[in-house]
Amino acid sequence: MDSTSTPAAAEAASHSTPSQLQFTGNGKEYFGIWIVNMLLTLVTLGIYSAWATVRTKQYFYGHTLLDGHRFDYLATPIQILKGRLLAVGLFVIYSVVSSYFPLVGAIMAFALVLLVPWMINQGLKFSMRMTRYRNIRFAFKGNLGEAMVNFVVLPFVSIFTLYLLMPWVLKRIDAYIHSNIRYGDKPVQVQLEGKEYYAAALLVMLLGILVMMLLGLAFKLAGGINMNPDELGSVNFGMFLIVPLYLFVISALQGIYQALIRNHILNNAQIEDVAEFKSTLAPQRYALILATNAMAIVLTAGLAFPWAKVRKVKALAQATQVVVLPGADQVLDTAQQADSSFAEEAANVFDVDISLT
Amino acid sequence: MIRGYFYQPSSSRVQEAVARLSGNRVAIYTGDECLRETMQDTLSVSAHLPGQASELTFTDGARFVPLDVTHRWSFQSGKSSLLASLESNLVLIVCALVATPVLLYALLFKLVPEIAVTAVEAMPDAVVEQMGQQSMVLIERAALSPSELSAEQQQAVRDLWQDTLAQLDLSADKYRIDVYRSDHFGANAFALPHGQVVVTDELALLLAEHPNALRAILLHEIGHVERMHSVRLASQAAVASIAIAMLIGDMDIVAEVVLGSGSALMDLQFSQNMEWEADNYALVQLARLGYSGEDFAQALESLVSLDEDEEHSWLKYLSTHPSLQERIEHARTHTPAL
Repeated sequence: MDSTSTPAAAEAASHSTPSQLQFTGNGKEYFGIWIVNMLLTLVTLGIYSAWATVRTKQYFYGHTLLDGHRFDYLATPIQILKGRLLAVGLFVIYSVVSSYFPLVGAIMAFALVLLVPWMINQGLKFSMRMTRYRNIRFAFKGNLGEAMVNFVVLPFVSIFTLYLLMPWVLKRIDAYIHSNIRYGDKPVQVQLEGKEYYAAALLVMLLGILVMMLLGLAFKLAGGINMNPDELGSVNFGMFLIVPLYLFVISALQGIYQALIRNHILNNAQIEDVAEFKSTLAPQRYALILATNAMAIVLTAGLAFPWAKVRKVKALAQATQVVVLPGADQVLDTAQQADSSFAEEAANVFDVDISLT
Repeated sequence: MIRGYFYQPSSSRVQEAVARLSGNRVAIYTGDECLRETMQDTLSVSAHLPGQASELTFTDGARFVPLDVTHRWSFQSGKSSLLASLESNLVLIVCALVATPVLLYALLFKLVPEIAVTAVEAMPDAVVEQMGQQSMVLIERAALSPSELSAEQQQAVRDLWQDTLAQLDLSADKYRIDVYRSDHFGANAFALPHGQVVVTDELALLLAEHPNALRAILLHEIGHVERMHSVRLASQAAVASIAIAMLIGDMDIVAEVVLGSGSALMDLQFSQNMEWEADNYALVQLARLGYSGEDFAQALESLVSLDEDEEHSWLKYLSTHPSLQERIEHARTHTPAL
């Protein structure tokens, strides 16, 4: 009956084999949640979006299982709503000022850039604190100075190197984010290598150029045919073709880069004595998933979104294994500070998106 | 007896356990050892989510999660299951599918413009003045350079402007005209909200022999200022972006694409409507000044011939305006209510 309360040593055998991360949700259930969320959000002029966020996250976290135990999303709708109202307030001021006083708006936009590192830190702190596994919350311990260097100074400097520095900057950003995550009182350790980022960036760029050239050629050939029929029709037809095609290519390239980087990060990350990670996401498979997802969403005017999201999350879970080490039973929850989702919301509204996958 | 996992408070320790219900008490056992025993009303029960068992949280933070993912507790409040049953109700889902686009349309095309118009009416003059001047600073830096027309050519434009203002009884303090060279705008004219109208060298040259056509265009631009079109567009954009930011919060990229193109469409529709309004203003004023709609139509027709000659420089002007042919037709049939 009793499994994990006995001394860890007795458990060693069962813990040394990797356990598969599982996602047990399905597109049908999520479709119901998604459409009801959307309707209630519109009916309440956006207020319900806080409840919608919580419900969606609860659904996805709760269906993510490791070693038989599910993840929990802990934020309450009121926390999200407060943050969202503050963020919207800030956004109202910014958009009113920038449309009526463009000059002042430009200055304000510059000031906001300086706020970005703080917002990113707060957002990460909030989302980590709201994630729980086996009664232990995650935490994020980044500091403002490092965030400023990694998110503002270095990306700006890399412009002057014609973006040659950018893969290295992205490596630093990922290292900063992941090495500052804590599971309870245990820090995550990562050893990232710049050359992996350069290899991924180079591959994606070369593929991008190749596809561009092929498409250019294809359209040149198609252009010859377009001259004959009535012009308006063919121009519109071309536009209808170009947009989904562009989305398809961009999503595929994105998939290749994300898969390579995700594998590199997870395969080089560990929580000492608690867990080791393993990611075997095949870039071409993930690229195909993201690209066909984008197509499906466009072709169904958005209706395929729940199916696409579940499909993506399933693929990510399937490619992830975690070796749960004996120390996993001895993690303690450290004291948690006051909760604020303002920064996370401000980051969302201003479209400063950072993803942890 | 309900099998599940028991999670110790603030610790990663997990035990397989069973929950036993008796009367209004809940007890958690592992083997024969009782881990917790408490009254049902001191427990908090998590919300219903499809495919996830409802968990019990004790006051000290310990939790019990049943193994059976469909498990629901008999003492769970019905309120928390309401959403779950809505989300799996086929009729409601179909209704939501129909109602969502309709509501989106109503919000973006009815409510937002309404709010924008109210905002414009409440706008103090000082704000409009600031808005115009600051826009001008940015436009001047980005796309305008000093006029290269001769002093006489510039004076001709100014005389026509003064003449038009005087006839319309409009304040020369508020309304002013400037001539600039601009490669970006080509042959064009535009109005700023505080009453400044800019005519490019190319336009002035093209219409030097057609003063009536230029007058029609100037009246059209004055119409934009009088009807506060750019203020309306700006407040439209501000209100729409606020509405979109509020809605998007959670809806991810798809919604962003859909709402983004919706608001672009809205902008387009409104700027076209505003061109018609400005045309109507020009037509009414022309009639007052003793010209007829036919004059305006002829002026526009002279633009059509220019359109053919100077296809490239005119393309830009036309892209933001309704079709010239339609406008000529409209000018011919328009009978201003005096």
